[in-house]
Amino acid sequence: MTIGMRGLHVYILLAAAALALVFADRLSSYWMHVAIIAMFYGILASSWSLLAGYVGLFSLGHMAFASIGGYTSGLLVQWYGIPIPLGMLAGIAVCCALGGVIGWVCLRMSGPYLAIFTLGFAEIVRIIFATEDDITSGMAGLHVERLFDTPSRLPYFYAAFALLAVSLLLMGLIVRSRWGLFLRAIREDEQAASASGVAVARFRILIFAIASGFAGLAGGFYGHYIGILTPSLGGLDFMAVLVVMTVLGGMERLPTAVGGAFAVEFLLEILRGYGQWRLPLFGLLLLLTMRFARNGLLAPLWLQFVRLGESPAVTATAAQDVPQKEPGL
Amino acid sequence: MTWDYVFIQVANGAVIGIIYALIAVGVTLIFSILKIVNFAHGDLYMLGGYCAYYVITLLGVPPLGAMFVSMAVIFALAIILERLLLTPLYDDATERKDEYGLIVTFGLAFFLRNVAVMVFGPFPLKPPSFIPGVQRLGGLVITNDRLFAGGVGIVLIGALLWFMHRTIWGQALDAVSQSRESAAIVGINARRFNSVAFGIGAALAAAAGALIAPIFSLAPDMGVLPNIHAFVIVILGGMGSVGGSILAGLLLGEAENLFTAFFPDPTRALAYTNAFGLLVLMVVLVFRPQGLFGRRHLRME
Amino acid sequence: MSAAAELLRGAGLVKRFGGIVANDAVDFAVGEGDLVGLIGPNGSGKTTLINVLTGHLAPDGGQVVLRGRPMRGAAAHVYAAMGVARTFQLTQLFARMTVLENLLVPGLTRPGSTWQAVARRARTTLEFLNLAHLEQLHAKNLSGGQQKLLELGRCLMLEPAILFLDEPFAGVHPHLRDGLIKRIQELHSAGRTFVVVDHDMESILRVSQRLVVMARGRKIADGPPAEVREDQAVLAAYAGL
Repeated sequence: MTIGMRGLHVYILLAAAALALVFADRLSSYWMHVAIIAMFYGILASSWSLLAGYVGLFSLGHMAFASIGGYTSGLLVQWYGIPIPLGMLAGIAVCCALGGVIGWVCLRMSGPYLAIFTLGFAEIVRIIFATEDDITSGMAGLHVERLFDTPSRLPYFYAAFALLAVSLLLMGLIVRSRWGLFLRAIREDEQAASASGVAVARFRILIFAIASGFAGLAGGFYGHYIGILTPSLGGLDFMAVLVVMTVLGGMERLPTAVGGAFAVEFLLEILRGYGQWRLPLFGLLLLLTMRFARNGLLAPLWLQFVRLGESPAVTATAAQDVPQKEPGL
Repeated sequence: MTWDYVFIQVANGAVIGIIYALIAVGVTLIFSILKIVNFAHGDLYMLGGYCAYYVITLLGVPPLGAMFVSMAVIFALAIILERLLLTPLYDDATERKDEYGLIVTFGLAFFLRNVAVMVFGPFPLKPPSFIPGVQRLGGLVITNDRLFAGGVGIVLIGALLWFMHRTIWGQALDAVSQSRESAAIVGINARRFNSVAFGIGAALAAAAGALIAPIFSLAPDMGVLPNIHAFVIVILGGMGSVGGSILAGLLLGEAENLFTAFFPDPTRALAYTNAFGLLVLMVVLVFRPQGLFGRRHLRME
Repeated sequence: MSAAAELLRGAGLVKRFGGIVANDAVDFAVGEGDLVGLIGPNGSGKTTLINVLTGHLAPDGGQVVLRGRPMRGAAAHVYAAMGVARTFQLTQLFARMTVLENLLVPGLTRPGSTWQAVARRARTTLEFLNLAHLEQLHAKNLSGGQQKLLELGRCLMLEPAILFLDEPFAGVHPHLRDGLIKRIQELHSAGRTFVVVDHDMESILRVSQRLVVMARGRKIADGPPAEVREDQAVLAAYAGL
């Protein structure tokens, strides 16, 4: 192989994506649904890895932002009859703003303290959505207008695909830019980062706002796809599933986080026969991953995949994890 | 609203406060020795409740005896979990220990909670009373179970203080919490004390679960809020202080019960009481961002 | 203080931690091109002073003036942008980033910088520090001495006017230490200003033109090394340990 084949993995991914798009209509309605949900989680897992993996901000409020995005859009569409895309944009805007505020308030917190704080925030949001039932219909669930006026799931598949692709593209641009470098520097050592001229506070707020915005996008899509929203979307169990997905795949890279989301969602369906035993099973899998494969199960596979097109000599010297100026995700 | 009603709420608040304190003391103990915030503490509390329930109903052991059995079982279980999952925390080669402790205890909580759903079922269970009946003092009515829970809670916290102050093991634990290196120099095997601390913390949570079970009922997710409450108390009570935890526990118990009592819309009172506790937590964290035990060792006053 | 233009001044700096006064009304000025040694017994407030002078701690009293501009509690990255660089007492690198990336971070925070130019400058800096062959290694895998060098390199990428080095010689192999002193001297003759904190009197005396001595949170001496060494207060402070 020659060095000219570098970036082969990008072409393979593009080819796979093209195949998925072309043959999507052959999927059964059931598996199409699984794929759509997997892509919904893909947006959430990658944006959470932006927070927890890249910057080390272990927020447990990510699903709460998805919930806020969903309810905001659903309610605005219901109340004012605005077009759904506009409602989703409003949901994103609310999440960005609120995410920025949360990011600002917890600037001085780190590690477990930030986790506790965001857990508190998430539970308050859930309680409010569950309790204010004259607005949200509480635990009975809010009926949300569906995005497409058709029983077919194909349009949702394409929409989810597009949203995931655009999200990954934007997030990929962020982590590959100098911002990505600054974010990782903040994760490694905030004090040293600020001594190196990185505006730590500004970046922490910014990344909270951005990640929450993507969560809001995912939540908005979810609501308008499923057609009903319950407060449990922002609850601890959904958050735990998201943590399982991201950590299992590998939380320090976007592709592995998305891979984790896909794999776990797929397994959840395969193992449907085991009913509710699946949840403790995935809890166990998370514990085992943390114990024996800290960087995630997909991380080593991804590194191999990225090096597919490289000559052995290049592979040997490339101890580097994240190359700086390669195109693609 | 009568004064009697207020007094009842105050009395109930005191009992809940003591139970909270019992859970929080365990969180403090574990933090001071293992240096992790245990997100699975509420689930050990939940398991303690269920364990006592089954010891009572299946083995016919009286409730108080069942509580001690439950403490012993959860103590053992906790040590097994600690050996299996937390040993990397003591290894210098492990990176980002904060993150490891966080994800592992969070994952453990998720695991235990969902195992409980499968094994015990999602529906609430209620064990028999410790002592059936109520006590009346003028207009003040309080169930025997609440009095009992409060009383036993105080005794257990007292026992912990005695253990820490008056026994060699307790003194050794205190030494480890202050400095692992110095403790090792005087021949204390710090690793063993990780297990002991985690086990004792869990056993106290189990006792709290067993005590609360006849008052509220048992449910797989019963540990979620008390876990967060324990964090509030530890932060409010300040820096690993057991005395502070008791005070903060009482304060929070009272604040919540009175909040519920005086909340204008009774249908929402309970939900917003929980939200109120969370809000307290968030506000305290804003002003004390490293708040949880800024001082990293145990103080027994 | 030398005759050159004043670069940085701390005036009446006070910093308390609880009941402890770590800095008690310290005046400290550095002129362009100075090479100042800052010494003092453990706990005398040297590191606190550096933290205040580089924006990592806000003073409880007094103020820091940088190039004539009062800093008024500006964040550390503002100091960095204005040419104040520092190392840490216990080396603080970006452990799980490569040696090269460690240098790219400060370089890319400079306004108008481009990846290519910064990468080129980072590689030049690595060569200057004899670390070029390690550029793809994670920083955590370097030896203690190499880490100190890399931290110095990270400072240099800011193109700083002044560098604060907090115990640069501690725990560094004597062989590397001589190299480090040589690098500092080279950089100083190229016009950089240095404030060097250390316990190692010998190394400090080899590099510095001016010595500042702290004890119990106060500055007790300030002047040419030869004078300071004879100072009774300094002798008392060290003997009183």
